Order: sequence, then structure tokens, then C-alpha cells
Amino acid sequence: MKRFYILLVGLLAIFAISIAPAVAQDPVTLTMWSRDSNQAFLRELVDMWNSSHPNQIDLTVIPAADFVTRVGVAAAGGEAPDLLPTDLIYVPSFARAGYLADITDFVAALPFADQLIPAHMFLGTYEGREYAVPFAAEGSVLLYNKGLFEQAGLDPEKPPTTWQEIHDAAVAIRALGEDTYGFYFSGNCAGCNAFTFLPYIWAQGADLLTPDGLTATVDSPEVRAALEFYQQMWNEGLIPAGAQADTGTDFLNAFTAGNIGMVGSGAFSISVLKNDFPDIDFGLTFLPGQEGGRSSFAGGDTISVTSSSKNVAAAFEFIQWVLSDEIQLSMFAARGQLPLRLDLADNEYSREDTRLITNAEAMGLGKTPYSFVYNQLYNDTTGPWLAMLQQAIFQGDIEGAVTTAQARFTEILASQ
Amino acid sequence: MGLAAFRTSSNKQGDSGAGASVGRRYVGLFFTLPAIIFTLVFFILPLGMTIFMSLHKWSLMGEHNFIGIQNYIDLLTRDSQFWNSLWFTTRYTLLITPAIFIIAFLLALLVNLPLRMIGVFRTIYFLPAVIGLGTSSLLWVWLLNDRVGAINAILKLLGLVDRPIIWLADPNYVMIAIIVSIVWKTVGFTMILLLTGMQAIPAELYESARVDGANYWEQLRYIMLPLMRRTFALALVLSVIGSYLAFDQFFIMTAGGPQNQTISVVYWIYKKSFTDFNLGYGASMSIVLLVILVVLSVIQMWLLRDDTTY
Repeated sequence: MKRFYILLVGLLAIFAISIAPAVAQDPVTLTMWSRDSNQAFLRELVDMWNSSHPNQIDLTVIPAADFVTRVGVAAAGGEAPDLLPTDLIYVPSFARAGYLADITDFVAALPFADQLIPAHMFLGTYEGREYAVPFAAEGSVLLYNKGLFEQAGLDPEKPPTTWQEIHDAAVAIRALGEDTYGFYFSGNCAGCNAFTFLPYIWAQGADLLTPDGLTATVDSPEVRAALEFYQQMWNEGLIPAGAQADTGTDFLNAFTAGNIGMVGSGAFSISVLKNDFPDIDFGLTFLPGQEGGRSSFAGGDTISVTSSSKNVAAAFEFIQWVLSDEIQLSMFAARGQLPLRLDLADNEYSREDTRLITNAEAMGLGKTPYSFVYNQLYNDTTGPWLAMLQQAIFQGDIEGAVTTAQARFTEILASQ
Repeated sequence: MGLAAFRTSSNKQGDSGAGASVGRRYVGLFFTLPAIIFTLVFFILPLGMTIFMSLHKWSLMGEHNFIGIQNYIDLLTRDSQFWNSLWFTTRYTLLITPAIFIIAFLLALLVNLPLRMIGVFRTIYFLPAVIGLGTSSLLWVWLLNDRVGAINAILKLLGLVDRPIIWLADPNYVMIAIIVSIVWKTVGFTMILLLTGMQAIPAELYESARVDGANYWEQLRYIMLPLMRRTFALALVLSVIGSYLAFDQFFIMTAGGPQNQTISVVYWIYKKSFTDFNLGYGASMSIVLLVILVVLSVIQMWLLRDDTTY
């Protein structure tokens, strides 16, 4: 009888131990909101997670234009989702408003923590703590049409590495015909030019803001020089006249017609061009500085856990899974997306198309402005950034453009 | 039960003008309830909320606190762009309203003709009205494009221009281009409104006028136009409100450019609310715009007031 009791207690103990972890880790359903760009890829990623993990993710896709509003309203009511992938430029504002959970310790425990895209990690840091990690990478580069380079007697394997070389190549290509132009940019698109024009300034070691994002440093010789570089190409007719009115609808379309020599663009264009415009033989190089050097705008999305989430650890498991070797290679690299880790930039897929390696490298050395008023400074079509470009390039008034922009930047920064 | 109550009350309607019964009053309330609830939920409550927000420093992110009428003071004293935008929107309205009305009236006269298959033409002229404004704006961006746009190609073919016109880069061309695109988009709707007004005029009036020897123009001038006052009032108020609330076409076609010269009022409200994240200030501008529109509508109704009955 006594032996029976011992057996019984033993069995109960084993039973208790066996169910204990299950009790502690009841499967949870995590909510996730995302803007609608790139949603097909995201849905596939979430489906893959859901089919292989007990914790499920419930993904809601929100139109990009409504995204910040919806997040703001939900966070104010304490009803934000657990997982929040977002355009990285909003992370400083979200973190300052207290919407995001501090994930510093989780990030530190990742074996590849030091390999995560530095610009994304920089944007994810607020007052020394980390609130976001990379989720989608989009670095700006210079696209060039190899066919036109060849026709113009330029070496398609030696893309320009200085502003003078870009200018000279543009002159040579413009000479090919009435409808062939050397260069293109969307002259009425604020965001497009933050993405593709700021790197020329950064490559010079200059910037429009101090690193803490609090003081304007627009009025500098480097900024004037960069504006002059575009202004000269515009005055010489190397850029199609329609560029002045382009709100971004022609951002990549202009290049796909095959009569534009060079255009600033991003990683997304590689797959678009390869799939939809196989006739265009294009190369990809870094956005250079005046006499050399290089830079890139490290854009894309980061992902955060919100401060209202009751499942921070579970939510971070998904993030860790996304950043793992397996998913980075089999999902991201295999689909032509840039890997989110520097140590995976060189992989079996990118080796087949070295343009992807170039883009990943650009991403690695890329910068992103850290500002709580990024939207007002750079993204606003009525804002000071676009006004400066237009006044300098199309109206030829570099001096006035820079002075006005310095004043308006300072005013906006003081209002935050 | 409800039906019985209704029947009793409607019976009572005839016998006493003085004291309608309590039951009848409730029935009246019952029948207007859907409209009341609809107005309450979709107009009065949001309006109250907007007024409430306009009295706060209300950020899209973070906290909000009460600041009284500070937003309105800033609006009146410091925000020159708001007044620029208001003036721009007014100019736009003054240009586009006559354009829409003249063309819509001519089209309405045309499709009012007793011809076979006239319904086909009514449909064709009306079709652009069912396209979304965002979609049609994007369509016009491409039509106006300098390299691949049909409009420049046609102008070049006809020998009217040597090199393509960059429609959306010059302040004057922008106005023309946007007005053409919006007239194309909305003229069909105004045409249908005016057509309804035309067809509501009893045929006997024209007949007796003809008997008295009035020709087509005299019938138009002395019968049709005066009797269409109410229709004109409706169409005018709708059109002016629509023009003052213009947003999509400027947001999509010009992004406020060139050099911030095509920022409509609603565009500025949008920019303050969702780019600067200043919802409270956006709300105060919305209230001011509402007041302006109410005043404008009252003036139009008064100018086109009409007590004629037939």
C-alpha cells in the first residue's frame, strides 16, 4: 500500500513536471499591424510562422496613408497591436511618445546582435535604450543603363564614382539623341529626393541636421555644392523637362523607358526591372561624393513590440525567427529582398547577381536622419526640403534656397 | 400595433387642427428617428468632437491639453499660408464654377432633345462622374505627361506646339490643366441635375408660349431659365462646396506645387493634421472652413431664392 502511494506521488510529480511548461506557455495569439506596402511578402512570412509555431499571429494590413493615424489613436487608447512593423523614420517619435516596449535586453541576447543594419538600429534607439530592429531594408543607389553607356562610348563596367563623372557620362548620353537624357530625378517629390539626393551630401561628410537631430546645419558649402551639381545638369538640359512636375509617379518609370542614362533609386527597382523590363541591361553603383566617397539612405521598415503588449517575450520570438539565418536566406534573400544582417549580405542568391551585394553594402554604410519631425522637414511636399531643391535647381537661386531652408528647418526644429 | 396607431392618428388628422394627440407626436418622432440618429451619429457628434479638439493642443502622438481658443488666434494672426490657400481655393472656385455650369447647361440642352438613342449620350457624358476622383487625377497625370502623355502628343501632331508643355510645372498651366480635368470629371453630374430641372417644367407652359408666338430663345429665356432657379441653386451650392473642399486633384496631380502655389484649404488642413501631427489645429481650421461654407451657401440660396409655384 505504501509502495502504491509512493508510486502515485511519483507519477503525479512526473505528470506535474510534464504539464508545467505547457501551463507556463499557453499558446497566445499576437496581433500585428502593417502598412500595405509589400503586403504579399509579409502575409507569406506570417503564414509560414503560423503553420510552424503554437503562437499565432493575426495580421491586419492598413493603408499606408492611414497607418500613423491608426497607430496614434490605438496607442492613446492602450489598444495597440503586439507587433508593429513601421516605416523606420517614425520610430523616434513612437518611442518618445511611449508607444514602444524597451527590447534592449532581448536584442542583446541575439547571437547576431552586432550584425543588424546599423542605421536601423540607430533609429531604433531612444535615450540609450533600444525599441526596434530591422524588418525590411531599402538602401538607395545609382541605377545606370549599361546599353546607353556602351553606345555613348563609356565603359559599362566602370560606373561613375564622382559628381564630375556622373555629369560627364550624362553629357555623353544626352548627345546620343533628342529623346535620350543623361539623368533623371523626380523634381516635385519630397520623399524621393530625401532618399536619393541626401546621400550626395552625406558622402561629403556633411548633413542637414546634427547627429542628435536637434539643430539645423543646412547652410554649408557641401549642401551648396550638391545643389549646384544638380542645377548644372538641369541647366544643360541633361534632365528631361518633365522632371520638374514629377510628384514621384515617374520615379522609376522614367528609367524603364530605356532612354535615361542614370537615376537614383533603391533595392526595390532590381526585381521590378529584372521581371518587367528584361530588355534593359542595368548596372548599380553607390551614390558618390563630389570627389569620391559614397553613401546611401538606409530606408525601409523596422519592427517593434508595443508598450501595451502583454506578450513582449512571445512577440520577440517572432522577431528573432525573422532575423534567423534560415528565414533571412530562404525567405528574404531568395525573394530578392535585402538581408537584414550584414553577415548575410554575401549569400548564394546575391552571388548570382552582384547588384544585390552592392545594394546590401550600400545599406550597410547607409544613414537615416534621426528626427522627431522628419515628416515636416523631409517628407512634406509643402515643406522646406523640397522647396530648397526646387528653388535652387529650377530657379537657379542656390543662395536664397539654402538661407530659407536653414531658417525654416530651425523654425520647425524649435517647434517640436 | 404600430400600424394601427398610425391609422388612428392619420384619421385624426382631418378632424382637429388644434391639439394633435400625444400618440401622433410619438409616431412622428418614430418616423423621423432614422434620420435623426443618422444626423446625430454622422454629423452632430463628429462636429462636436471637432469643436472639442479645436480647443486643445492635440497631437496625433502623445498627450493633449486644453488651450482655449489659442488655435483660432494662431490661425487668424500667424498662419499666412491658410489665407493664401483660402484665396487660392476661392480663385479656383470662381474659375471652375462658371466653366462647369456653362458646359453642363449646354450638354443638358443637348441631351434633352427628343432624339432616338439619346440615353446613350446621357450615359457617355455622365460616365466620368462615376470614376473615383483619385483615379481620374492619376489618369490625368499620365494624359498630361510630357513624354508619354496623349495631350502633348496630339498638340504636337496638330503642330500647335514644338516641344511638349510641362503642364504641371507652371502655375498658370496647372490651373488650366486641373480645371479641364475636373470639368471633365464633374460636368456630367451637374448636367443630370440641370436635366432633371428642365424636365420638371410642365410642357403646357411651352405650348402656351408657342401659341403666343414665342420662339426657342424666348422660351429658353422667359420660361426655362426662371423656372430652373431652384435647380440652379441646388447645383450651385453643391458645386461651390465641392470646389472649396478640393483636395485629391491637388494632392495627386501637383502635390501643392509648383513652389507651393496650388495648396487648397483642405490640403493645408491635411498637412497640418497628418504631416505635422497637429490634429487640434487642423480641427480649428476645419471649423473655420465650415463657417465660411455655411455663409457662402446661405448667400447663394438667398440670391437664388424662389417662391414660384406652378
